[in-house]
Amino acid sequence: MTGLDRRDLLKAAGAAGALNLAWPLSAGLSPAQAREAAEALGADYDPAPFTLGVASGDPQPHSVVLWTRLAPEPLAAEQRLPEIVEVEWVVAADPRMRRVVARGTVPASATLGHSVHVPVSGLSSGTRYWYAFKALGRTSRTGRTKTAPVGDIASVRFVAANCQAFHDGFYAAHRGIAREDVDFVLHLGDYIYEHGQVGGVPADVVRDHEGPAVFTVADYRRRHALYKGDASLRDAHAAHPWFLTWDDHEVANDYSGTGGGAPFLQRRAAAYQAWYENMPHRDAGTRSLPDPVIHRTRRWGGLLELTILDLRSYRSAQNLADGTILGAEQKSWLKRNVDGAPDSWHVWANSIMLSQLRGRPGGPYMFTDQWDGFLAEREEVLNHVHTSGLEDLVVVTGDWHSAFVDDIRPDFDDTSSPVIGTEFTAHSITSGAYSADWNRTNGPVMGAANPHLKYFEGNRYGYDVYEVTPRRFNDSDNAAGGTSQR
Amino acid sequence: MNLVVNGNAESGPGGSAEPVGKVTGWEVRDGAPALIAYSLGGGYPTPADPGPPARGSRFFSGGNSPLTSLAQDIVLPARGRTGRAHVDAGRVRYTLAGWLGGYAGQEDGARLSVEFRDGRGTPLALSVLGPVTAAERQSRTALVERTASAAVPPGARTARVLLVLTRSGGGTSNDGYADAISLTLTATGGDK
Repeated sequence: MTGLDRRDLLKAAGAAGALNLAWPLSAGLSPAQAREAAEALGADYDPAPFTLGVASGDPQPHSVVLWTRLAPEPLAAEQRLPEIVEVEWVVAADPRMRRVVARGTVPASATLGHSVHVPVSGLSSGTRYWYAFKALGRTSRTGRTKTAPVGDIASVRFVAANCQAFHDGFYAAHRGIAREDVDFVLHLGDYIYEHGQVGGVPADVVRDHEGPAVFTVADYRRRHALYKGDASLRDAHAAHPWFLTWDDHEVANDYSGTGGGAPFLQRRAAAYQAWYENMPHRDAGTRSLPDPVIHRTRRWGGLLELTILDLRSYRSAQNLADGTILGAEQKSWLKRNVDGAPDSWHVWANSIMLSQLRGRPGGPYMFTDQWDGFLAEREEVLNHVHTSGLEDLVVVTGDWHSAFVDDIRPDFDDTSSPVIGTEFTAHSITSGAYSADWNRTNGPVMGAANPHLKYFEGNRYGYDVYEVTPRRFNDSDNAAGGTSQR
Repeated sequence: MNLVVNGNAESGPGGSAEPVGKVTGWEVRDGAPALIAYSLGGGYPTPADPGPPARGSRFFSGGNSPLTSLAQDIVLPARGRTGRAHVDAGRVRYTLAGWLGGYAGQEDGARLSVEFRDGRGTPLALSVLGPVTAAERQSRTALVERTASAAVPPGARTARVLLVLTRSGGGTSNDGYADAISLTLTATGGDK
């Protein structure tokens, strides 16, 4: 018997004076009880075994990756499932799944958390499809996806999302994203946060992490499962294909992918593996798990070239004369792509701010975890963009929990340096922003210190919608004020 | 049968702490490893240090690079009791094993993994061993055994074995150590 209702749970926890401990994995709770506790406090899941929903990713003209993960008890360290479960998948040209265009089976292995990643090929370009999975006698919800178009197109519309700390609010923004009429979603990282609980529920925060900081594969799987316990996130995944990069909190705050000793590298491998297991990521296959290859270039017709950067896996420490945020291989790849870029809009998916950001005029950089900590490499890359003649560069950025618009210059301290692109930094989905007071005080100071900074807004939450035509690149800031609302 | 070629670092150039550009059976992906003789001394693992009981004369180390990695792509057997028909029937298991270690209290380390892929290169299964921490070695120079076993998923056709040797902190020597690396397949159930 695992019966727990919200009132009993809160009453028992309150009587113990430890409401935070009851959320949701207090000692003695079985995985099923923990799930029930989580649901009592706001998390919910799709019917088992597809509790975490469905997703699609990396859309190309004739292919898209379909994802699901079997987790009958989403917060359990081990799933009570056979070691291998056969999963059927089907793709149709209609939402009722009557005009089937592709189907097959794929094994879900316990070694990969019973996740499946199906690269469906042979699809038509620029076309909507619907998909679903079957396993253990059950059928998943139906997801919707879209392949990339080819040739001339009139427009593309996409969303950028980032920074979705579970404990900082509900995913109203993802509910909005799910309802948007867009071609794809671009997630810029901080999909999960690795730290432990932050306070009591509901006294201090609207919801919280399920336990302490995460270190092992089982820990990270549980954390991903908690985040997908918000139905709006699952809805956003099911509604659109996603492109993905990551920032630091998928592993640990401000980490460098090439630093640290064996204990950290154990943690990093666990985090990377769990990220792969829980994302609709098409691994490039040039290396191998548990080190997924994320950076890639994709095209949306002849209108937009999307360059997805990985600013964590290969970076050195900050503030070194010969430091790197890209790593030698990715930097060479990026420069080659710039050299061979088509005549189109060029969008860089960039997890952490590219533009220079001083805290006061002539003062130090505010955060050297961003490109400001890798000055020589930024100068080299931006000069390469300039000398190569690349035009129409738009950098889409996350991390900052605030909205910025910056002119990109090869030398940010020289106002006569040419403007070679624009950087849009988006609000967070939920992760805590600076207060209105902080913004009032510091916004003007940042503006004075950074002449290339054209717009700043904090203390709001949401996502950006980009509408792109051959002649115009429009950024709509879909943000709500104050705290994130359900 | 061990499907890994030269998993014991016994073949090809090496024998000293000098990095080598090529390693028999392996593709050097990052850095340059050294295939060091247990008899070399100088603080490297010796025959008397904890390690494989039936060890050969040499082991893998990370050379002088902060990151050294070696990969080996293995085509799974087409026929026999661990061949494709049995894999697709779910009657084959794999075991990945290796002795992984490092130097004294330092956190240089070795990580060994195998990724099973289908015919299109999509990952179907993964096992990761290590890196072994100094605490797990009781802060002594040692190699310790790590193993993982699981079912080979139906549809698997290749396996990529990856050995990653990492240096932590300063210095030049990458003291991630590995030896006796193996990947074996075992038939389970009846031979139908």
